[in-house]
Amino acid sequence: MGIHSFWIFDRHCNCIYDREWTLLSNSGSGTINSKQNDETAKLLYGMVYSLRTITQKLSHGSMKNEIRTIATGKYLVHIFCTASGLWFILLSDFRQQSYSQVLHYIYGHIYVKYVANNLLSPIDFAENKNETRGQGFRKITNRNFIKSLEAFLAPMVAK
Amino acid sequence: MSRSQSISSQSKSLKITGEEIWKNKVEKVNSELFNLTYGSIVSQLCIDYKRDFKKVNEQLFSMGYNIGIRLIEDFLARTALPRCDTMLRTSEVISKCAFKVFLNITPTVTNWSQSQDTFSLLIDENPLSDFVELPMDAVNQLWYSNILCGVLKGALEMVQLDCDVWFISDILRGDPQTELRIKLNKVLKDEIPIGED
Repeated sequence: MGIHSFWIFDRHCNCIYDREWTLLSNSGSGTINSKQNDETAKLLYGMVYSLRTITQKLSHGSMKNEIRTIATGKYLVHIFCTASGLWFILLSDFRQQSYSQVLHYIYGHIYVKYVANNLLSPIDFAENKNETRGQGFRKITNRNFIKSLEAFLAPMVAK
Repeated sequence: MSRSQSISSQSKSLKITGEEIWKNKVEKVNSELFNLTYGSIVSQLCIDYKRDFKKVNEQLFSMGYNIGIRLIEDFLARTALPRCDTMLRTSEVISKCAFKVFLNITPTVTNWSQSQDTFSLLIDENPLSDFVELPMDAVNQLWYSNILCGVLKGALEMVQLDCDVWFISDILRGDPQTELRIKLNKVLKDEIPIGED
């Protein structure tokens, strides 16, 4: 199995998209925007948030230091943060070391195209103050977004 | 010395980045079509608001704001630039990359305030107002390209820079140059999840 799951967080600390694959053999298996993943999403956010704070504290000089990967015994976490505060996070096995191109492609060619440039889709997924700071629940549900993301990531799921 | 050198080499590379993206990664459209589209929007607004140009200015600004908060994602995806740590850097990115990529112009950055938080962009060739002449009653009230202020305001807000953006002069009004002013109010703090502070 190549990739295990994929997550997007917005600048309000909310998970706005999650995708988890469960079967090695079937890239269509698993869940999209599942309520069950809420807790995992919060933990994942917390882990990246803490390590991101540490990397920026430990950076020398003026240039910002962004965290790119976290390795655990079982999997790799690939992180891509944009200046506008979006986080794209991908969990994978150890077969491929870098997914930064992949995450950048998802941002530039899928997110921008089907969410940012889609005037009928919200760009801010927190509608009021009560949904900021990690308390939001809204997700990206655009069909085109989901479809092209699935098509793009499917080849990386199967072994 | 080395610091000023590194800043000048950074700004040179921004210029190259902007030009390269413009050349290779941007689909081109006819500027006259763009120009006329914008013109018809403004003239429709003037009709809708019964030539109350103050309201037209406001409406253009808020339309721009809504464009800006989306356009910033497109911009960041194309350029892959990180956040700017100084307003000096921000001004360079705006003039050399953003204006270049979206409008193919490079406004001059000038008139820095002493505290380095306010600067002006001189827009020599404003593609929005190529064939435009303001009617007599609009000359002193309408900011024809006010949509640009909204776009900048919205886009900067999305990278946590709370700014005021406004025109102080416009060739269309008979001024010698078109000058747009950007003032940093404050750098917004990134949100943190509840309970983390």
